Amino acid sequence: MPARDTGGGHLLPVQHLRPGDHSFVSYGDDEVRWDVVTAFVRLGLARGEKVIVLPCPAVSEEEVLARLDFPSRSPAPARERGQLVLSSMRSVIRPDAEFTAARQLAGLHAETDRARAEGYSGLRTFIDMGWVAALGTDPAAVIQRETGAQSLFAGRPYTEICAYDRRRFDRALLAAMEKAHPHALLEQLGSLRAVRGADDAVCFIGEADTANQAAFTRSLELALARTARARRLAVDLTGLHFLSVGCATRLLALVHGAAGHERFEVHCGQGHGRLLRRLGAGEVPGLTVREVIRP
Amino acid sequence: MRRPDAAGPARAPAEERGVRRLLQRRFTARLLPQLRLLVEECAAREGLREPRRGEFVLAVDEIAGNAVEHAGGWGRLVLLRVGDELECRISDAGPGFSEAVIPELLPGLDGASNGRGLWLARLVADRFAVTDAPAAAGAEDGERTGALVTVAVRLR
Repeated sequence: MPARDTGGGHLLPVQHLRPGDHSFVSYGDDEVRWDVVTAFVRLGLARGEKVIVLPCPAVSEEEVLARLDFPSRSPAPARERGQLVLSSMRSVIRPDAEFTAARQLAGLHAETDRARAEGYSGLRTFIDMGWVAALGTDPAAVIQRETGAQSLFAGRPYTEICAYDRRRFDRALLAAMEKAHPHALLEQLGSLRAVRGADDAVCFIGEADTANQAAFTRSLELALARTARARRLAVDLTGLHFLSVGCATRLLALVHGAAGHERFEVHCGQGHGRLLRRLGAGEVPGLTVREVIRP
Repeated sequence: MRRPDAAGPARAPAEERGVRRLLQRRFTARLLPQLRLLVEECAAREGLREPRRGEFVLAVDEIAGNAVEHAGGWGRLVLLRVGDELECRISDAGPGFSEAVIPELLPGLDGASNGRGLWLARLVADRFAVTDAPAAAGAEDGERTGALVTVAVRLR
């Protein structure tokens, strides 16, 4: 898993989404496609948010409900009390029949206010973009909406995922859509990405678990080799949702054994910082662990 | 290998007070990401805040990963609300083990790597125990039943 260049903070695991986030995800598999929506729905419900799902019109409501209820039926009571709602883009833009960005934004704005009035801490919406073809909407109107939706998010308790089926949209349009969103999500639970950040830092995003330990280790080894001349390496773990004891230990052991380097800086969240210290980070010469709170 | 007393400290509270089952899953290595999500969901719903929620999910993953690696590739998880605690019981059908195999002190970075996950799980838990897994129906006396690891954290 060699590190790739990409904008820092753009790519996130779905578990890191919080109110005010507007994110893109794409999928190309009819099983994997449910990973992100399931996590988004379940964590939103657990955090006391109202959740609206606008599934692909080509998927039956029965299948959507069965997918959301698998593998445990915790979303079912939320549907009964109105915390989880299945809807459609046709309903959001009603009474209009044709999509306009202004009409859709007004509808979602009103839904956010309604969620707050109903006592929820906010609203999160999952929108499968299959509606674009179903309503015969010009993709240019969708790009306009995606780039001009700041008022829906800024300072408001609203979170949104726009999910694109790579089999339905051409590659150039997908690239434009991804760029139009402040964030992009990892497609699958349990995945890990390593990207190259500023000053040759290595940034990890996703879940550094046992299954990903070899790839995690390899990326660190490559980063050490890449920075051998500079003799310093920054490791950014702020994009990690999960860090196993095995991966944390590998990180500390590699840093401990890297005789040619003088300085290491690890940026991470509070929980991962505490884990690294418990595993002996304080005894590794030249290592600084900085806990970072996402702005 | 010595087995701790099955009626150890991890059992008493669950049997004496109200218990609510939140989750029950069989897992393999492939299902561990999904298992973490479900445990995180339940922990958030029960009001366990960060960073304790992340520590609890980590402890559960380390114990479940240990069952996958050392006890035949699968295990069972039961997550309970027990009074003001969140309690997770992870059982397997492997050879069983004793809490004595968990190092008292963290091994150095150049030392053995075994046992760190369980060491950490025990460290972050408010309650932790290793016992025999309950015998399956029809099992004969003396038949091996695997291990049951219980990890619990206080919600308040």
